[in-house]
Amino acid sequence: MLKIEHLTKSFATRNAVSDISLSIPQGQMVGIIGRSGAGKSTLLRMLNRLADPTSGSIYFENRDIAKLSGKALYEWRASCAMVFQQFNLVGRLDVLTNVLTGRLYHHGIMSSMLQMFSASERAFAIKALDRLGMAHTALQQADTLSGGQMQRVAIARALVQQPKILLADEPIASLDPLNAKIVMDALRTINREDGITVLANLHTLDTARTYCDRIIGLQDGVLVFDGPPEKLTLEMAREIYGAEAEEAFSEGMTSTALAGVPAKERLTERDLQRHSDMSMS
Amino acid sequence: MMANSLPNIDDKTLLSLRNQYPGAFGATSKQLIRTLVVVSLVAYTVASLWYFEVWRLASASDRAWRLISAMFNWQDMANWQYAQIYSGIAQTLAMAFLGTILATIAALFIGFLAARNTMPISPIRHLVRRMLDVLRGVDQLVWGLVFVRAVGLGPLAGVLAIFVSDTGTLSKLYSEAIENIDRKQVEGIRATGAGPIKTVRYGYLPQVMPVFISQSLYFFESSTRSATILGLVGAGGVGMIIIERFRANLFDQVTFVVLNVLVCIFVIDWLSKKIREKFIGETRH
Repeated sequence: MLKIEHLTKSFATRNAVSDISLSIPQGQMVGIIGRSGAGKSTLLRMLNRLADPTSGSIYFENRDIAKLSGKALYEWRASCAMVFQQFNLVGRLDVLTNVLTGRLYHHGIMSSMLQMFSASERAFAIKALDRLGMAHTALQQADTLSGGQMQRVAIARALVQQPKILLADEPIASLDPLNAKIVMDALRTINREDGITVLANLHTLDTARTYCDRIIGLQDGVLVFDGPPEKLTLEMAREIYGAEAEEAFSEGMTSTALAGVPAKERLTERDLQRHSDMSMS
Repeated sequence: MMANSLPNIDDKTLLSLRNQYPGAFGATSKQLIRTLVVVSLVAYTVASLWYFEVWRLASASDRAWRLISAMFNWQDMANWQYAQIYSGIAQTLAMAFLGTILATIAALFIGFLAARNTMPISPIRHLVRRMLDVLRGVDQLVWGLVFVRAVGLGPLAGVLAIFVSDTGTLSKLYSEAIENIDRKQVEGIRATGAGPIKTVRYGYLPQVMPVFISQSLYFFESSTRSATILGLVGAGGVGMIIIERFRANLFDQVTFVVLNVLVCIFVIDWLSKKIREKFIGETRH
């Protein structure tokens, strides 16, 4: 159970996130929607403390995450993995090493400096890559991959962290529809099979509706909607998106809505493999 | 005539326009300054030529010719001390290599202390930068003289001189490379729970390594050249051999040694290119 209480982040002139309180049970898949600048990214980045909250608390297993520092903070980040809009892989390292950086928290300084990862860690990393259909690229340099492939490697990196929570900051905003679907399906599979709580910032309403158990709407840093997708009325959605409504609802941007694939179907790993093969060809 | 085809402009309009846009009509003061600058530049050049007695060049042509012919008229080659010459060259290469590698190792740490994004505590950063300025500001030859005094004649002084001055410059260049990296990749590593040292190792180092390698290779090449000069002030290596033969008027041997050094520098240049291609040119798309 992740419990957020009165979480606020202020910048010089305004609040990016103001006074948000939420509680998210373990294993839920949550979509956070809102127009650009609504505070979605700031909220996620506060959860793994890439951004520090101005006030408020984040409780997980009876610890206040907002107060962690040093080793305890690194441990929290290791158990609260993140994937990013721009994938944030280290371009000049090979794919396998990128995935293995997910194990860095568990390593001492010496073994980290010398890139000494154990055989079982390597095997675990390859299995994580294989789940995302990316094992065949393991020894390729990361910056030779396409965007969709990079995001899948980034998810594999998150998986080897063996996290309890996975934060996804606009995971599909830089991808084409097919790759967006592969990535969202992968997140959904991870959520269902591993019981990892997934919190994803999603720009498009349709994706949030299709994949998430629960939708959270932010507007100018304020929580304006919290409930199951069915409860999100069209008027409410228009209100949340404001001037960006057309863009968020439009067919071109509802990127994961491919014809002929049942939306909430539980996907198996074989499906993932098939999708990845489709994207290869 | 262009001026005749223009419509006539009366003096009053001209005057008011002149006052409105003084810069547009070519101010006389500016023209005067420009003329003065040109005249003084010419005068300074002529005066310098006169001061340095440039006409001696004409009378020295005879001597210069003899020097040049002595350089290319190789005599008594069987008795040249090849062992001494080549061990001098080897010593110079070793000096340059050791000095550069030590400077690289030092700069690897100091560079991160001098970069804004890896050293947020600005007093420390500024202290490090000012110290680097001192190392850089004093010329390598001066460091050479200092170390010859400190540790005596020989290659150790040369190694130290190269180490100190290269550390100053390399650290500065490294810190600039560190400041220009992609923040997103660093964030990706930070988000895995890696502490600051691990983040530097996996987020920063892979990005800056090609630049580091390339700059250090260039400094190895450049240090080989300057190690030759350092020998002239007594800091060991082939420079000492050159100056000894120069004093003994053995110009043919001087030429021979210099040509050998040149070959070495070409080889290093070629090798650096190969190494650079190996480590940096491997991004395929």
